[in-house]
Amino acid sequence: MKHRLLNFLLFIFVTAVFSSCDNGNGVTVHKGYDETAIESMIAEADTLVTFPFVAERVNKIKDALRQPLPVLLYADSASDKQRFAESVALKDSVFTQFLFDPATHLPFRNEIFGIHQARESDMAGIKAAYNLADCYRVEMYNYALNNTSVAIVDAGTQRVLNRFYLSQTQPDLPPALITLANKIAMESPEVEKALGFKPDEKKLLAQYYKTSLNQTRCERSRHLCVAPTFLLGEKTLWAIVDLTDHRLVGVRWIYSGKTGPASPLVSERKLQDDKITACFCEQEQKLARNGWEMKYMLTSSDGLRISNVLYNGKPVLRNAKLVDVHVNYSGSDGFGYSDAVGCPFFSQAAVLAWEPPKVVDLLDDSKNKIGFVLEQTFRSEGWPTPCSYNYRQRYEFYNDGRFRITAASLGRGCSSTATYRPVFRIAFADDHSSFYEWKNSSWSQWEKEQWQLQGAATLFTPEGFQYKIAGNSGGYFMEPGKGQFNDGGRGDYAYVYVSKHDNARDEGESDLVTIGPCCNADYHQGPEKFIEPNAENIQNASLVVWYVAQLRNDDRKGNEYCWAENVLNSKGVYETKIFPCFCGPMFIPVKN
Amino acid sequence: MRLSIIIVSALAFALFSSCKEEVEFQSNDCRKLPTFVKAIGFNPARTAFSTSEKKTMGLVLVELQKQGEPRRYQHPSWKMGGWMGPIQLDQFGNCFVGPVPVVNVYNNPTSKQNTVYKVDSESGVMSVFAELPVSDSITSVNPYGILGLCYLCETNTLYVSSVMGSDRTHEKGTVYAIDATSGEILDKITGIDILGMGISYASGQRKLYMGSARTSDIYAITLNKKGTFSGKPEIMLSLINLGPRGDDKVRRFRFTQYGGMQIFGVEFNFNLTAPTEKQETVYEFSWDDTEKKWQFVK
Repeated sequence: MKHRLLNFLLFIFVTAVFSSCDNGNGVTVHKGYDETAIESMIAEADTLVTFPFVAERVNKIKDALRQPLPVLLYADSASDKQRFAESVALKDSVFTQFLFDPATHLPFRNEIFGIHQARESDMAGIKAAYNLADCYRVEMYNYALNNTSVAIVDAGTQRVLNRFYLSQTQPDLPPALITLANKIAMESPEVEKALGFKPDEKKLLAQYYKTSLNQTRCERSRHLCVAPTFLLGEKTLWAIVDLTDHRLVGVRWIYSGKTGPASPLVSERKLQDDKITACFCEQEQKLARNGWEMKYMLTSSDGLRISNVLYNGKPVLRNAKLVDVHVNYSGSDGFGYSDAVGCPFFSQAAVLAWEPPKVVDLLDDSKNKIGFVLEQTFRSEGWPTPCSYNYRQRYEFYNDGRFRITAASLGRGCSSTATYRPVFRIAFADDHSSFYEWKNSSWSQWEKEQWQLQGAATLFTPEGFQYKIAGNSGGYFMEPGKGQFNDGGRGDYAYVYVSKHDNARDEGESDLVTIGPCCNADYHQGPEKFIEPNAENIQNASLVVWYVAQLRNDDRKGNEYCWAENVLNSKGVYETKIFPCFCGPMFIPVKN
Repeated sequence: MRLSIIIVSALAFALFSSCKEEVEFQSNDCRKLPTFVKAIGFNPARTAFSTSEKKTMGLVLVELQKQGEPRRYQHPSWKMGGWMGPIQLDQFGNCFVGPVPVVNVYNNPTSKQNTVYKVDSESGVMSVFAELPVSDSITSVNPYGILGLCYLCETNTLYVSSVMGSDRTHEKGTVYAIDATSGEILDKITGIDILGMGISYASGQRKLYMGSARTSDIYAITLNKKGTFSGKPEIMLSLINLGPRGDDKVRRFRFTQYGGMQIFGVEFNFNLTAPTEKQETVYEFSWDDTEKKWQFVK
């Protein structure tokens, strides 16, 4: 089918960073907000930007992981005695207990961060005789587990006197990694853009640097992150660098020339939350591209909302959004959640936006640009650990006037018995619309508000359309997901409700509170409240289509769906493999 | 963040030592076990109120067993407020509870989040104790109302903090001093969003300590003979840049007889993120009588 994408390829066309509130689409006025939050930049996690010195480092890591003892040795200069202490420690089976993943036997990335002359305080509890001058504290960091192993080694007697490990802890960085972090920061275009020039080491603010290394700045990813800082007048630019993935996380200015109450240190979470709140939760953004125009913003609990959508100047949608996601666990009677997705601060959302919305190109199988996508990801902390969630909203806009409203669960939830029911609300712009169902080889009009379930007996036109919304200014066919969109979706089995919009009452035009419970398996998903008990006439009216897909997750090997799992990669750290279950209808313009 | 767990984990297994959970100073340790607990055959020594049962909405009584699953009891009336959060016992064995939405507001409409519920010590029946004023600026961005409860034995005063009506740019919360018998509002502090509260005598004065729900700051205000407020809240200390997150808010206080203070800090951003994400850090301070300020210990 013409509108099908054989390969659903997306390409980032926006710049890899979001400066100001402009995410590449031309925007915005932003008065009255924290300017440092607005001016901060969040680097794209999937940016392809890399540097030769990073490639060199990655090769070293891969080489080390191929060795029988897969450890990156201390990278800085060390005395023979220190090197000897390092080798003694690495022969100790307790000190090296975290070198391999016990399940897969694949190597974790471990690196010796320090071989320090031991102090008396390091020798507490050691009963064996020792000569302190011969003793060293060897520290090894595990990037995958984010833990630190410590060995107290007596190089004189070639013994490990003590060993222990610290969970979720990073040792002080060795000079080589500090240099690497500085280089990543100095070479990153975001830093250059923020400063207005390409910095050198003279601009690094050493006295703040050490402070920023005391704890990881990446509390969400739980990666090893540090924050080289650059001084410019009374402002300090904090650049958060992820040394697990060797990339810049983002940058933010802090005014350093004033006294007064302390400010929270810049961290991954704070950078993300403040930027998203200031730019996307508290103001609408405009987007104009490929003949389409619209506004969009993140809501308190209805996800990414688009509004005033026009195609070639003609109104298409008044607005559209993701109201709820109902998650029901079968086998656990009545257990589940009604999740809302939305803003990180002051919101009714349970699963939050971590990154700004993205606009990406939509390519067909031949890599022709056929439209664009506006998408937003929402995540729980710790995802994909059990009982954490990740949802993705995606609005697809095609150059030929089609559009699709989609969402997916990326797992992982509390078990493999979940059924996800995302609730879309789609409000059409034409105030004189009528709704039709394909029935007995012709279009049959719905006279009153009602609902219907897509099932095995559902009839479709030869093109695959199930419904038609027709109005004064044209109309759209509606094609539900049946697994035909090649985005991993396996069919929506959706409940479709049509309600009448009335300006005199708010039936979801503004941010909706949770409208349905977690665990109803029938049509009682919430939208029925707006069509029962007295169904209104919907002929020649302003219409709202509610679309509730039903997606059963699966964790079976090779069949994963609405699922995610961490896998150890070739660089010795975990990466998340996702199995999204996209759903949502396509709307195709009716050609007169 | 399902604040339920913020507070809720506060309360989870608040064993009747739970009476001690918010203030352990002897001068304020008068709370009594509810009489009905024995009447329903639960052993008070092993029994606690909980609002953090994953699959049970409302208040639950939990009796720990020497082996196996705890025994649970829920009076039918204990669901009336939806999902619940803070629990506070008084000197007569009455139990006060505040509603807190969990993950969503389906069972906790925002307009009902300023209601204090009370479980009668004798009958074990829950009823509405006090309906605090509902903000005229309820918005969809703030699902919360009551966040904290605290009880002063000497005056039989219940302190209730509510953040109803606040948003990111407007701090509209209130701390109420309420007669714990009549429900009458005796005093209030307005324009302040407070999460956890506790009572300290460390400085030689009886003070209500209050952790801001918006920042890591901790305020204190003197409580006079009647248990009402004297003066204005003053910032005593802050958790800023302490701990793994650096911007924790105070969920609860625990004071010792020896001038020590434990603060249980959590992440809180006025959203409904899930309880499984909740991590708590305990911060310890000691009172420096020479400097007249709290010193961070660890």
